[in-house]
Amino acid sequence: MTGLPPLPIHGYLTVSALLFAIGLFGVFVKRNAIAVLLGVELMLNAANLNFVAFWRYGGAARMEGQVFAVVVITVAAAEVAIALAIVLNIYRRFKTVNVDQINLMKG
Amino acid sequence: MIADLLRALHTGSFWYPLAFFFFAAGVLLPALLVVLSRNLLHCALWLLPCLASVAGLFLLLGAELLAAIQILVYCGGIVVLILFAIMLTRGLGDPDVRAINQQLLWGFAGAAAFAGLVLHMLSRESWPAVAAVNRGDITGRLADALLSPYLLAFELSSVILLVAMVGAVVIARPERE
Repeated sequence: MTGLPPLPIHGYLTVSALLFAIGLFGVFVKRNAIAVLLGVELMLNAANLNFVAFWRYGGAARMEGQVFAVVVITVAAAEVAIALAIVLNIYRRFKTVNVDQINLMKG
Repeated sequence: MIADLLRALHTGSFWYPLAFFFFAAGVLLPALLVVLSRNLLHCALWLLPCLASVAGLFLLLGAELLAAIQILVYCGGIVVLILFAIMLTRGLGDPDVRAINQQLLWGFAGAAAFAGLVLHMLSRESWPAVAAVNRGDITGRLADALLSPYLLAFELSSVILLVAMVGAVVIARPERE
């Protein structure tokens, strides 16, 4: 089974760029720390989509693209675990997780 | 049966774009709802179809193992963890609390400018024509790559997971007097 998918790479790159922009918008405007985290997850998935698309359309002879994606997924899992632990800790201390209300260090 | 379906998807000129647009819409529409929903619980739940459709796109690209990892780790692990955190922090799904900060205009402008810039660059760039690839045993080759040239990254990610696990337990533990 040889041959490229009958579709140019632009489709994947466009989806990835739009997904990244949506995630960026979420990170910019959301107040809740967990909602900001959801935006970060969307952006990580956009990056993964790009890695795999370039792996496939770049010849698929070497496996770097997929190795990158596996490492990104691993780090994302670790990041979510740590971030949610921090969010729970902040909630216990401040009784809120809205990032614009946690301004203890604001000068 | 599934292998036949996948082969038809990879070789057929009709089904492949159809499946691509299905999954692309399945990524982008739930992603918009993740950002725009007022209820945080709904946001987290809309993440599920979004991430599953990303797995579908991985499948279309021929990365079968990665699609399985995506479903297992993201849909099975990360989303469930986020749902737990939302339920542990009470009153967050409250629709009376404003979900959007005061930077809505600037945030939208920034994200739209980013999308416009990247899409403009994408349309300007002519991507090099690539040779046909020999598909073969992708999963086996990924395993070879992870365990011989990229062994260090593989082992480091296991250390990162261990450190993250211990760290999460230490950070989330209630303080003792």
